[in-house]
Amino acid sequence: MNVDIKHVAKLARLKIDDSELSRYESEMSDIIGMVESMPDIDDEWLVDENNAMELRKDELSDDKLSREQILKNAPKVVAGCVVVPKTVD
Amino acid sequence: MIKGYEVVIGLEVHAELNTKTKIYCSCKNSFGLEVNTQVCPICLGMPGTLPTLNESVVDYAIKMGHALNCGINRICKQDRKNYFYPDLPKSYQISQADIPLCHDGYLDVLVNGDTKRIGIERIHIEEDAGKLLHSDKFDGSLVDFNRCGVPLIEIVSRPDMRSSEEAKAYLETIKSILKYIDISDCKMQEGSIRCDVNVSVHKPGEPFGTRCEMKNVNSFSAAVRGIDYEANRQIELLESGGTVVQETRRWDDAKGESISMRSKEDAQDYRYFPEPDLLTIVVPEEKVKMLKDTLPELPNAKIMRYVSDYSLSQTDAAMIVDVPEKSKFFDDCISAGCTAPKLLSNWILGEISKFMNEGVSIEQTSLTASMLAKLVNYISSGKISTAAGKTVFDAIINENADDIDKVIEEKSLAQISDISMLEELAKEVLAANEKSVQDYKNGKTNALGYLVGQCMKASKGKANPGAMKEIVLKYLA
Amino acid sequence: MKLYEYKAYEQSEMLKKGEISARELTESYFERIDEVESKVDAYITLNRENALLSADDVDKKRASGEALDKLAGIPIGIKDNISTDGIKTTCASKMLENYEPVFNATVVNKLKSKGAVITGKLNMDEFAMGSSTENSYFKKTKNPFDLDCVPGGSSGGSAAAVAACEASLALGSDTGGSIRQPASLCGVVGLKPTYGSVSRYGLVAFASSLDQIGPFGRCVKDVALLQDAIAGHDKMDATSVKMDHASTFDSLTGDVSGLRIGIPKEYFGSGVNDDVKASVMQSVEELVKKGAVIKEISLPSTDYALSAYYIIACAEASSNLARFDGVKYGYRCDKPKSLIDMYERTRSEGFGREVKRRIILGTFVLSSGYYDAYYKKAKLLQLRIKDEFNRAFEGVDVIATPTSPFEAFKIGEKVGDPLSMYSADICTVTVNIAGLPAVSVPCGYSKNGLPYGMQLIGRHFDEKTILNAAYAHEMCFGVFKAPKL
Repeated sequence: MNVDIKHVAKLARLKIDDSELSRYESEMSDIIGMVESMPDIDDEWLVDENNAMELRKDELSDDKLSREQILKNAPKVVAGCVVVPKTVD
Repeated sequence: MIKGYEVVIGLEVHAELNTKTKIYCSCKNSFGLEVNTQVCPICLGMPGTLPTLNESVVDYAIKMGHALNCGINRICKQDRKNYFYPDLPKSYQISQADIPLCHDGYLDVLVNGDTKRIGIERIHIEEDAGKLLHSDKFDGSLVDFNRCGVPLIEIVSRPDMRSSEEAKAYLETIKSILKYIDISDCKMQEGSIRCDVNVSVHKPGEPFGTRCEMKNVNSFSAAVRGIDYEANRQIELLESGGTVVQETRRWDDAKGESISMRSKEDAQDYRYFPEPDLLTIVVPEEKVKMLKDTLPELPNAKIMRYVSDYSLSQTDAAMIVDVPEKSKFFDDCISAGCTAPKLLSNWILGEISKFMNEGVSIEQTSLTASMLAKLVNYISSGKISTAAGKTVFDAIINENADDIDKVIEEKSLAQISDISMLEELAKEVLAANEKSVQDYKNGKTNALGYLVGQCMKASKGKANPGAMKEIVLKYLA
Repeated sequence: MKLYEYKAYEQSEMLKKGEISARELTESYFERIDEVESKVDAYITLNRENALLSADDVDKKRASGEALDKLAGIPIGIKDNISTDGIKTTCASKMLENYEPVFNATVVNKLKSKGAVITGKLNMDEFAMGSSTENSYFKKTKNPFDLDCVPGGSSGGSAAAVAACEASLALGSDTGGSIRQPASLCGVVGLKPTYGSVSRYGLVAFASSLDQIGPFGRCVKDVALLQDAIAGHDKMDATSVKMDHASTFDSLTGDVSGLRIGIPKEYFGSGVNDDVKASVMQSVEELVKKGAVIKEISLPSTDYALSAYYIIACAEASSNLARFDGVKYGYRCDKPKSLIDMYERTRSEGFGREVKRRIILGTFVLSSGYYDAYYKKAKLLQLRIKDEFNRAFEGVDVIATPTSPFEAFKIGEKVGDPLSMYSADICTVTVNIAGLPAVSVPCGYSKNGLPYGMQLIGRHFDEKTILNAAYAHEMCFGVFKAPKL
């Protein structure tokens, strides 16, 4: 089984240089080879009712961070906003 | 049908829920505040943060499911939809894939007096993304994350609509239900309801055509324009020997055209998988039932009731029902003993709408349902004239008057309906206007109006005009 | 004897009696750090000034007669993927080289509220992906028992710091063995708690359904002490379980009479070094002498566990690590030409090879057309593995296996051979897949003087039983002997 590394890397927003490509391909086919030994299982995969979570009450929290704090790790900030290269969809 | 083609429309409506907090964190769920001030480490997707699901979001979505006659998957889960975009902080949206909270319902909508049933495929819960801001002066885009994590429900219809008119009726009914069960603010201009449109065309009797999805439809009227444009585009394409390709298109309402965004081949691979940070959603059966029991009468049912029980026109009924406050007031007036529903509807759509359009709510005035019921009954029975009714109404609204009878007395607004008094008046007026009486008898029928007018004048406007006219006629006979 | 050489529970007693001050104890550790850190390279960030301030704070409170927690004044190191407000949390990645969280992980808040002293942030494999700590962007941590060897991973910094007495206790995280395997390789005790017993809030996620924070210590009592401090429900973590966590520390008796120990044959196969098997079996025999009973059991799906593990872990990782896109925090490539260019260059330059490899694998197994064959199958296998454990635990109370199939290996020995590196996890991954608790305790030494570890696996939320069995073992085997550095 060969993995289309270029396609998968594009989905993952990774840039794989052509020089690295063959190495990724062989590593990935080794891993996939290992993984393909898994037996077939016909069981149905159902949602587990016994694994329920508690839901959060719809109540405001009082602790609030300032915008400066929240954006302090951002690479580029202008006018209280994070800046990214021009993006129009 | 356009040029022998049937148009097939399916709609995906995204509605923002008006919960207090966001779907996965305790940040305030609000619109229009200063950029990046309604965010926390969780909705910003900071490393190490985890989502917790807001109970109200589940409740609200189930309410909508009941309103649209859906089955409820009270045991379900959430899934991650993976894609990269700057307004999506985690680079995945927490949504629902194969098991939506609500499934397989329907909605009855009124189109030109007929009822049309439209199937609902599913309703699921998910989080909204932030917003990108652009400026020509600035070489880059700015990201405001305030909207991240605002709760959404996505309502997916079946491809059951056959015209843009039906689509519009469907959208308007969805909107009024959202307002009625009070789970969304439904402010189109704030983007709290958005929709994606799926359109295909085919010749009757043939299988459905290839569909195109249209995004960026920001208003119901834009949906109508977009559907019409898209249907015509596809028909022209087919007529000129071409084929429709499956693709996603972007509606440009200003230009009035749709443009291709991406084809099926480069459709995004969202790599859905179950959200491992959240466990199973299990809603107790009693709660599902309780949410159904507390559902109010829905607007489409209300319109039908107003038309059948009170003989209102569909247009008037729809206009009242469109605003929950008006409809509630209408119902309250009926309960308070109003016996003239049609007249009541005129007042609600006239005088009351007038002040409500200026942003004043009924509650902010001294007007109560029992007061309006009484006022309308007085007018209907002839105790006071319509003009006098208006005077009383103004006194209530502008002077905070709270006793209708007192206003009528103080302003001497009661109509004279006492027949003997009116007869006395008529005799005097006819005696003083012998020439006009003569004219009438000679066939000049418009003399009647003059004579009744003179009687009204003599009564200082208080005579019941209907009764007055009858008496004058009786004497002229 | 130096203060840093005492066990944490002993230091706690000494502090309580007023024999030593928290400042003295903290200073002792920083002196030790100054002495050996250049050889071990366990820390990414030191928190010296703040550590001394919090030590002084504890001393002040104690002087005023305030009743303090057992952990008050105890110096603890934190793995660098656990968020600390105002202290860099790098995940040993270039991607987060300068990232300073604006909030504390729940476990950090718990430790701080108990007066624990945070010594600093410990090295690890980048984003906890690896078994040797060689995948750190910043440095290679050395095994205190042999500086040419790896300390194991991914919590290699935590294990090495505790083994080298550079911290009294440490927190790590375990997704497929990342606490137990380095504990084994560094001759210390490490506990991977039951999934859901310790809050993950603030732990930078690798694989959300498998990750769990847990304690390292130089003896079982120390590990119990720290486990008691961090366990408990947290409303910020929907996967944390609401239940009472009775003190494991107070329940350590060393009494194992009647304890049924399961020996699964699949864990003593050809992939495991014979000396390792022998020392584990010898340790179990010692417990039998104290009244425990051995039962041979079978966990047949174990052979596929590693595959299922890598699929599930990498699938979740590919999604969890998608947020590192250069937009909101962390590394951004220089002068991006477009959005797509920013994404691709930021992520390619910011992540190391192993991380990229796993993102690619994870993206692939979730992608259209492959989901059922890989991800879904792995999840079904997970159910089967859980089931096998549940059935096994009907007949036994604990399951004993080797922790690592081999002793610490030389730095560089397995780099560039992912499958060989992945095989280091064969005995530990099933525990994460089944969500069970497991502890690794030292159980012997190789001819090179490198430690072996025994893994004791327990029922869900039954940390008490495995820690008590580990304690009984420790009473026979003897407690931690510090390597000479």
